[in-house]
Amino acid sequence: MSPPTTSRDNQKKASILIVEDEATLAFCLEEALIDAGFEVAGVAGRLETALAMIHNGVFDAAILDANLAGVSAGPAASAMAARGLPFIVVSGYLPEQQQTAFTGALCLQKPCRPDRVIRALRSILPAQ
Amino acid sequence: MHKHLSSRSALLDENAALHAQLDEAAETLRAIRSGEVDALVVQSSRGPQIYTLQGQDAETNRFRGEMLAQVSDAIIAVDGDERITYLNAAAERLYGFDGPRALGRTLTTIFKSRWLHPQDEAAARTALQERGEWRGENVHVRHDGHELNVESSITVLRGIDGLPTGQLAVIRDVTERKQNEDRVLVSEIRYRRLFEAAHDGVLVLDAGTHRIIDANPFMTQMLGYPRDQLIGKELFEIGLLRDDAASQEMFRNLERAEQVRYESLPLESPGGRHQTVEVVANLYEENGRPVIQCNIRDITERRRSEEHVKLLMAEVNHRAKNLLAVVQAVAYQTAKHGDPATFADRLSERIGGLAAGQDLLVKSEWKGVEVCELVEAQLAHFKELIGRRVVLDGPPAQLTPQAAQGIGMALHELATNAVKYGALSNGEGRVRIVWKIIADSTPAFSISWLEDGGPKVAAPGRKGFGQIVIGRMAEAAVQGVAAITYGESGLSWNLSAPLEDTLTVIQVAA
Repeated sequence: MSPPTTSRDNQKKASILIVEDEATLAFCLEEALIDAGFEVAGVAGRLETALAMIHNGVFDAAILDANLAGVSAGPAASAMAARGLPFIVVSGYLPEQQQTAFTGALCLQKPCRPDRVIRALRSILPAQ
Repeated sequence: MHKHLSSRSALLDENAALHAQLDEAAETLRAIRSGEVDALVVQSSRGPQIYTLQGQDAETNRFRGEMLAQVSDAIIAVDGDERITYLNAAAERLYGFDGPRALGRTLTTIFKSRWLHPQDEAAARTALQERGEWRGENVHVRHDGHELNVESSITVLRGIDGLPTGQLAVIRDVTERKQNEDRVLVSEIRYRRLFEAAHDGVLVLDAGTHRIIDANPFMTQMLGYPRDQLIGKELFEIGLLRDDAASQEMFRNLERAEQVRYESLPLESPGGRHQTVEVVANLYEENGRPVIQCNIRDITERRRSEEHVKLLMAEVNHRAKNLLAVVQAVAYQTAKHGDPATFADRLSERIGGLAAGQDLLVKSEWKGVEVCELVEAQLAHFKELIGRRVVLDGPPAQLTPQAAQGIGMALHELATNAVKYGALSNGEGRVRIVWKIIADSTPAFSISWLEDGGPKVAAPGRKGFGQIVIGRMAEAAVQGVAAITYGESGLSWNLSAPLEDTLTVIQVAA
């Protein structure tokens, strides 16, 4: 996992936290984000890691997988909301199976093309 | 001769006179039978005797005869030898014997008695001897074998001297009534048993007062109240309906529809047990009184298992789509880093590797995968080499689903690479797959892929997806560190990670 980087230095690259337990998907997302001109603030595969990064990290938005190794990512969503940071949720669950912590968030269904994730991220980030 | 002649004519005269008397007697008898004669004068040695046929006695006799013919009960009189001296029309019908044929015969000719209880016969005999009468039930078996359930009343007849002259029996056929009683009894036993043994609660309510008038044993078990505490209560008082208003509503609906059904109601028993019940209430009439029967079924378990199935379906959906997302990512990566000519083959191999890992996870109910089984599954194509050129060496250890996926994919890439370019590409190279648990202050799990005897290998110039899988992706899957060395006789790969991120049960080597 890469260390959280300080965003908004001189370049205007938005920094994104990836919360995804599936290494393949996390890697793919990371590549897609970098290719699209984002910075990756870090990758968390477990809820505890994700919560620690949300509390201490410096980033602009997050991509949350709804389920982290069998544990709901709901607390991560609440922590993001508490910090006032935007996030999108990527999930294998049907919308009606979704936990309430994700209510109101922009949700994408797995499998999802990387460019869709990028477009969704841009839609929740403040215009620069 | 004269005497002979005179006696012959005298005989003829006497004969004619006797004929005339006989005709007269026959006529008299016919007249008596047809009721035309009021009185009869008979010449006797003591002078003429008048016998009155009409009058008080005759009237009484005829009245009695008609009355006995009209009654529906069978009436039979017997003499001291049990020979039939009288039977009425009902008796003729009941036993299928007409009067003239029966008269003078013994009673056993028309039926034989069978007693309901062995002691009944002696009791009847005693009663007749001591009290001169007996009343009771038994079975009469007719001469044609037909059995009748009868209720009899037998009286001993006595002469002027007080001595018994015979018996008079009044017999009522109760066969039909008896059959009905038996049917009702069988029905009562059968439905009582259903009520008592049912594994549904059954409550019977008075539709007027809304109060419980009966409850089966299962109901008392479900609620935890003894039966006598249920009787007289209303449904909301036993926690079945929310309140009086809900109860009133149910009764209103019942009056309209005669059946009310609640798919799912919470039921709190006094012990604090929460149950979910299904209630079906029906309005019936019992002898003109409206009652409500409520069948209450505990569906707590059913609801729980329905919830469980729903949860499982959501889980299956989540996992299937997650796997599709992984396949999609693998396809992107294979296309991006690989040779377009071999794309389809490489992708199929990798999907095959994912499928093998999936099988193991399902087999273990998603709990985890033994390292040994994972290695064998990923090397299934070179099964014949295992134990010869491929050696597995390590303790039993169960990987978490995440670790199994990451390590499984890495093993798949290592095997493919070894067959193409490494130790398994020639005839003599060997591979040792070694894993161990390192008991340390921070316990760790370590797995190595060690090639030997293969051609000299060098680090690839461009990082392909295979390199990413055995490197960064394997590291991310187990929060570990991967080390790759390209040596003179083959590649060496090691992945070390905290035990808690790799194994399902924390095991510390002895």
